[in-house]
Amino acid sequence: MSKKSRSKLWFLVHSWLALPIWFFVLIVCVTGTLAVVSQEIVWLANPQTRASAPSDDAPRLGYDQILTAIRQAEPQLLVDRISRPDEAHFALEVGVNHPDGRSSTIYVNPYTGKIQGTAPDFDFSAFTRALHGWWLVPFTNGYSWGWYLVSILGLPMLASLVTGLVVYKRFWKGFLRPTLRLRHGARIFWGDFHRLSGIWSIWFIAVISITGTWFLIQALLADNHISISSEPIIPAMTRESVPLSADGAPPPRVGLDRAIELAQQRIPGLEASSLFLPGNAYSHLSIRGRGWYPLMLQSATLNPYSGEVAALRLLSDRTSLEFVTESMRPLHTGDFGGLWIKLIWFFFGLLLSMMVLSGLLIWTKRTALATANALKREDKKTRARAQPVISREPSEVNP
Amino acid sequence: MSKSAMAVQPSRLSQLWHKWRFHINVLLLLIPLGFMPKYFSDQALFRGDSGLGEREIGEVQVGPWSLRLAEFRNLPPQPDGAAGYLKGFSAALCDACIEPVKATYLRIGKPRSLRAAGSLFFGTPYSMGTQLPVPEKTKADAELWITMEGWDGSMHQASIPLSQASPATVAWLNKQGAKQ
Repeated sequence: MSKKSRSKLWFLVHSWLALPIWFFVLIVCVTGTLAVVSQEIVWLANPQTRASAPSDDAPRLGYDQILTAIRQAEPQLLVDRISRPDEAHFALEVGVNHPDGRSSTIYVNPYTGKIQGTAPDFDFSAFTRALHGWWLVPFTNGYSWGWYLVSILGLPMLASLVTGLVVYKRFWKGFLRPTLRLRHGARIFWGDFHRLSGIWSIWFIAVISITGTWFLIQALLADNHISISSEPIIPAMTRESVPLSADGAPPPRVGLDRAIELAQQRIPGLEASSLFLPGNAYSHLSIRGRGWYPLMLQSATLNPYSGEVAALRLLSDRTSLEFVTESMRPLHTGDFGGLWIKLIWFFFGLLLSMMVLSGLLIWTKRTALATANALKREDKKTRARAQPVISREPSEVNP
Repeated sequence: MSKSAMAVQPSRLSQLWHKWRFHINVLLLLIPLGFMPKYFSDQALFRGDSGLGEREIGEVQVGPWSLRLAEFRNLPPQPDGAAGYLKGFSAALCDACIEPVKATYLRIGKPRSLRAAGSLFFGTPYSMGTQLPVPEKTKADAELWITMEGWDGSMHQASIPLSQASPATVAWLNKQGAKQ
């Protein structure tokens, strides 16, 4: 195969990769982009989710004080989970149960302990994630087929990146001499846009497509009951480790702040950002948070009565394979380093969506052009049969 | 790209196909639209807005205590890998038992002791759930046993027929029996 026809083949592969499903890919990109900043959108729309300090130097309350404040305001509520979102401008999210059996999330001010409101029934964050992640197809037995439908897109996206870089000859020159011609018609503009945003998004497209493909592998592993986890299953507490009480009232439990202190003695630098309260008399208290490596969580599991640490899950407990696989999800969602990382992910998500769209626009315009040319040629041919037909694909020119 | 210049006039259908073939994937949007009612009803079920579960079994008296029992899904047991078939139940404790009850268990057949009382309920007394293993060879006339343990060490038990607790499970068992 000649060099020219080989590059033509690469080009053909590149232009066909997303074409038959471009709209689907576009919507998945757009919903993913929205999902990245969904928490921020909720923050903007709903003042109850904000953590406003009463004064500049107001200290944050401890978790015990938070629990006491909730109990005083709503004595009937039972708390099962407290989480402190990564960014300090968010209120605490507390999972509660109501006497009628409903469960909900309430927003609690971290400085005053005031219940600022209840999360609405329509959870915007969860909805965008469900739409992006599994196309709303329910999980019945194992992973939903919507999950497969979306995650398999990682493969054509990765292939688009590779073929795109092959057909864009000497693409690195685009970094030094960025070209975006605005006045040469739509076809030229979208072509320039596609190439320019493409080279600046190489890293992002690689990250999204590789992590997306991981989601496919993850589902395949889970549905075939193959586990790569080195995490031991923590059994429920033994009968002996749960105290009886003569008067029939539940025995006292270790305070949350004390439990965090005990956990931090074992995991130095643990940020206690999520607390899962025991779900029954034989279940543990679990404290989770980040350590020095922002992509993974560490956790301590404690006996809630004695404060004894039953299990730890540290960064160093992970196998090297788990370091890679557990980093995949945060790399995909961009929720590991605060607002700025999210905004970067959002920006490149928009760019990626625009690349799908510009790719389609280029294709449409080129096809329209090629069709018109072909018709013209046909016309000529019927009039003067002598002229040879030169079929010329509009090829990618170097800027 | 010069297919449109074919000498034979293409049929109307192939013309339509040719024109719209790259747009029909818009129809994939119908999938999430179709699943949206299911998504929201599931969310309501998970939040407990639509009650304890899809099918309420009713109040069951267990010694001095009582609890409200429900099938989380009105479905037969679902396969869960090595764990075999699991059936989800939910329960809410009576107001007076929230303090004194230490743990609540569910089991098919009468437990021999408190140590083998079955699946432990997890959650808050207002709404808790458990996944009960249902062996494929369970008899359709089996009984579902509820064991409640007090903080003072006391224990109370009650049972209801499986056919009352979960008709879907009994129907599934009968079908399994027919297969064997």
